[in-house]
Amino acid sequence: MYEAAHAYPDGESTAARLADTAARYGYDGLVVRARDATPDYEAIRAATPIDVVDAVEVVADTPDRASGGIGNYRPKATLLLLQGGTNALNRFAVEQERVDVLTRPMAHDGDFNHVLARAARENGVRVEFDLGPVLRLDGGHRVQAIRNLRKLRELVDHYDAPYVVSGTPRSHLQLRASRELVAVGETIGFSADQIREGLAEWGRLAERNRRLTSESFIAPGVEKASHEEDD
Amino acid sequence: MKHLPKHIRPRWRYLAVELETWPDADLSRGSFQRELWFAAQNFVGDAGSADADLTVLDFHFSGCVGETVVRARRGYVSEARAALACIDEISGHSVGIRVRGVSGTVRACEERYLRRPAGVPEERSVVFADSDRTALARDTVLDVRLSSGFVGATELDFE
Repeated sequence: MYEAAHAYPDGESTAARLADTAARYGYDGLVVRARDATPDYEAIRAATPIDVVDAVEVVADTPDRASGGIGNYRPKATLLLLQGGTNALNRFAVEQERVDVLTRPMAHDGDFNHVLARAARENGVRVEFDLGPVLRLDGGHRVQAIRNLRKLRELVDHYDAPYVVSGTPRSHLQLRASRELVAVGETIGFSADQIREGLAEWGRLAERNRRLTSESFIAPGVEKASHEEDD
Repeated sequence: MKHLPKHIRPRWRYLAVELETWPDADLSRGSFQRELWFAAQNFVGDAGSADADLTVLDFHFSGCVGETVVRARRGYVSEARAALACIDEISGHSVGIRVRGVSGTVRACEERYLRRPAGVPEERSVVFADSDRTALARDTVLDVRLSSGFVGATELDFE
């Protein structure tokens, strides 16, 4: 299972510290949602027992600007995330095959509906269930976040859209182990398997993208393989 | 009151919990217990909170790491985990919380999962974000002091 976190300077801990803590907490990997962060991935991978995935989270206020960001970062990052949060951005994200994950679709004024769920499935865009507000807010704001998660879950379930789950930690202190996330998820109506699948999906996505961008991959079904030389 | 016969006493589970904070935080058993009750009540409600009956038994905290044993009623471990996960701050200090394991007796819980963390963090000066800073180091991890607060790092960030 993987967790996706914000690293310094986007968050309050460096990618190395997050990876260190994630390894101790039993995760198989860590996705760094970089906005301004530029960690040395090679060094961290060499020093920690878990996988560290380089991802870029594009944050923009309009689809036009987001489009620029996607074009820029798609060739450079293993995972490309687009932060949603407005109806226009959510709509834009689920219609872009180049986007791997639509993050925080329900934050701020964002909303989700059956059209978006269907588009997300067709384009293979993962919709993120952000458990962060459930872990860190209380009172009315948390009630609202849980209500939004429920709506999103019902749509994703019904239209069989792909999804990921994350606690969106901004420091190693905000990181929670997967069993804790499962317990939180179960309390607000997710099944334990849903949370585990959502956490594992990050890893599957990273693996898929690495295969697609590796040199041996030519086209779907066509790969360069090593073989014995003819005599 | 005379204590209950053995077969009718409640059964408990004991959760070994690991705590971590920034170096300037100070936690006590009382503040942790209060925050745990709040978290349980806010998240699983009065009824669920009463069912889980969470109590902090053994509390050790020094130099930004701590260990404690939390008692929950058998069958309510999941609620206990959820409530613990929802503790974000204790008396205004951010905390990292993780359940190391669950046991049926306090003794097994302590023997298997708790290992009294060692000593006081050592102060070091480091270069971080192009200027000299002080950092508090434990093993291979460091908390670097900035004007705005702390940044969590490891040895790797200074190589």
